[in-house]
Amino acid sequence: MSLNRFNQQADPIVRLSDISKRFPNGTLALDQVSLDIPRGQLLCLIGLSGSGKSTLLRHVNGLHKPTSGSVDVMGMRVSDASNKELREVRRHVGFVFQQFGLINRATCLENVLSGALGRLNWPRYGVRSYPKQLRRLAFDHLDRVGLAEQAYQRADTLSGGQMQRVAIARSLMQEPQMLLADEPVASLDPESSGQVLELLLTIAKEENMTVICTLHQVELALGWAHRIVGLRAGKVVLDRSAVGLDQRDVMDVYQRVEVADAPTQSENVSIPLSNS
Amino acid sequence: MSSLVVEQRRLSPPFKARNFKLTLVFVAYVCATVWSWRYINMSFAGLFGGISDVSALLARMLPPDFYLLNSIVSATIETLWMALLGTTIAVLISFPLSFGAAKNTTPNAFVFAVCRGIITLTRAIPDLIFAAIFVRAFGIGPLAGILALGLHSIGMIGKMFADALENSDAMPREASVSTGATKWQAIFASILPQATPAMVGTALYRLDINVRGSAVLGLVGAGGIGFIIQTALRSLDYPSALAAVSVIFIVILAIEFFSSRVRASILGERSSSVVTVRSQSERAIRRTRKDRTLLVDAVTMRSLVPPMTSERKSRIISVWAYVVMLVIALGTINMPILSSLGYLDDAWRIVTDLVPPDFTTARTELITGMSESIAIAFISTTLGLFIAVPLGLLSSRNIVARRAVFVATRSMLVLFRGIPELIIAVLFVSAMGLGPVPGTLALTLVTAFFMSKLIADTFEEVDPSPREAVFATGATRVQELFGSVLPQAMPALVSQILYMLDVNLRSSTVLGIVGGGGIGFLLLGSIRVFEFGTTGAVIFSIFVVVYAIELIGAWVRSELAKAN
Repeated sequence: MSLNRFNQQADPIVRLSDISKRFPNGTLALDQVSLDIPRGQLLCLIGLSGSGKSTLLRHVNGLHKPTSGSVDVMGMRVSDASNKELREVRRHVGFVFQQFGLINRATCLENVLSGALGRLNWPRYGVRSYPKQLRRLAFDHLDRVGLAEQAYQRADTLSGGQMQRVAIARSLMQEPQMLLADEPVASLDPESSGQVLELLLTIAKEENMTVICTLHQVELALGWAHRIVGLRAGKVVLDRSAVGLDQRDVMDVYQRVEVADAPTQSENVSIPLSNS
Repeated sequence: MSSLVVEQRRLSPPFKARNFKLTLVFVAYVCATVWSWRYINMSFAGLFGGISDVSALLARMLPPDFYLLNSIVSATIETLWMALLGTTIAVLISFPLSFGAAKNTTPNAFVFAVCRGIITLTRAIPDLIFAAIFVRAFGIGPLAGILALGLHSIGMIGKMFADALENSDAMPREASVSTGATKWQAIFASILPQATPAMVGTALYRLDINVRGSAVLGLVGAGGIGFIIQTALRSLDYPSALAAVSVIFIVILAIEFFSSRVRASILGERSSSVVTVRSQSERAIRRTRKDRTLLVDAVTMRSLVPPMTSERKSRIISVWAYVVMLVIALGTINMPILSSLGYLDDAWRIVTDLVPPDFTTARTELITGMSESIAIAFISTTLGLFIAVPLGLLSSRNIVARRAVFVATRSMLVLFRGIPELIIAVLFVSAMGLGPVPGTLALTLVTAFFMSKLIADTFEEVDPSPREAVFATGATRVQELFGSVLPQAMPALVSQILYMLDVNLRSSTVLGIVGGGGIGFLLLGSIRVFEFGTTGAVIFSIFVVVYAIELIGAWVRSELAKAN
């Protein structure tokens, strides 16, 4: 299988070729999506809820498998990789969830440490089951997100913004090449949203990580993304460089998409097409 | 026209299939109780005669005589160690089993079915039956009792462990899998930590139950204090019997108190306010930073081990206390494990003799015994209910206006709930002679105590606003009770009655072991004379009846849960 040779340096780092996903309940979540994502790109996925953004992200690290088409990540064909190969890819791809995915009653440090599981051999339970070396590393990452002081606090005693920062530290623990973020700030208040996103991007730039992030807040997206991809009903309806794109263009897309859903006007709506 | 409409108005509720079916179940229940009453020749005269017999016996027991105190104390300690070891064995087996029996962690459907099957089977066979069989295999002594507790407890512990795993939040697991963790790494890192408090709570609760259970295992020769009680009663040494009963009674109360405190502190951790948790751990971190001990990493001054919070301290102390007790238990208990291994093939032969079950040899005894057990279960549930409703009303704080009344009844219930039913049955049988009537009375009493607590809890959960509304119409207290409290509490009451019937059916199958009537007599007899085919048939019949009642109960509950 020459296809499945894992290569961290592969460029484009992600290649989606014609992927479609139909869920068992019949919903067509992705409809012939093709995207090449070059190394180091900060890509922002926008679109209404249910447009397929989260499904697309979950295809990149193999949490979902496409019904048709192929997904290649770092040279590995994720769409038909074995479990072992999948873990190899996931180890290098961080995933930040909207609901954080923290273990509420475990300490922050333990939550961060669980990010290292991919390079460890046995199941672990509790902070003491991880090597000291990794505990030091976990502290460094917590420090980076400004929460070293809270290392031994339970995750559920933190505020939402702090929880997401712990989740980011957990991803850093993987030393990832790429970060997938699924509405990372949707559960946060506006102020912490700004802080958390800022933190995420600063780190991504420092580490030259590739980032695919789904976002609702268009103004935030425009501020930092290299490239904006819009999805509607599982189809790519917008794919442009963020340079020269202003907030109205994108908001326009959102509104047009909404209008398009209304049956009476759907005929005269023009949808910005992919420019690639 | 309008007069016609008035004519057509229904003055009684329309026919509904659901209500009809539920009424049928109710009628069937009443018929079963009446049949049961006749079947075991129960009579109110006999009932009151029994009460006077029991009080006569109690009079002869007083005052308790503690001249056997030394052996009572050592038997009590043996009882405790048996419970501890039995629970430990059950936890050790249940833990891996629960991962196979939880939907979200099981490897495949086959493993799932096997694990669930083991759990259901071990729950259906009473610990006393396991004990009787093991006494045959390993000889008289605590080992049989420990194994019996261990095997029977798998049913409950395995089920609750699996539930705890299934009730965990799935998000952290997806996050772990996304970091490249293997399936089992993800389960250990993100599902197990969520289930731990519930698991520890379950183990402690079961320990509590097993202390009570191990107190009666001696009745079949499986060690512990039950043996002393039985011997004293047989030799008509009533004051010593009372001494033994009162010691174990106090010990059971103490254990129950202790274990409920520990459980509350483990399971209540979520309810403790966020602020205190935070400030506690902050204080702890400050403390560790201040005294930069060896625990602190030399390079970064950071503690690489969790700080010693008071919560952690008590956890460590509990674990060590447990380990020390385990070592003492293994050291002191008279349990020739190695020499018993030689009997393993005996044990295996017994197990293989249980199947195929032999229904023909003791056909009549099997039928009469099962009928008697079912009859005992129905009567004790119904009689118990009649006592439990007034007691339950008296002990719910929102119904009884006087604080003193409900505090007094509650405390009385808590006290008497601790006595194992078989010990009550042994006493009643000594007072009234062999037969189903003393067994029924004993179960009735236990049902009454247990159910009053359930009923009181239900009444206390009743929504107060409809009650206020009914009072506002000028209703009397009793009218209000029937008009607003009972309708609200009814579904819960019905499911409690079904639950009690289920529990009593299990209990009534072992009453015969102490001469309290029912199938237990044949069960013990068949084990004593090595007719294990018959034993298998008895176990199978019990399993079928218990399972049938469980199914009916589940059906009635689901019907009740439907809106209409």
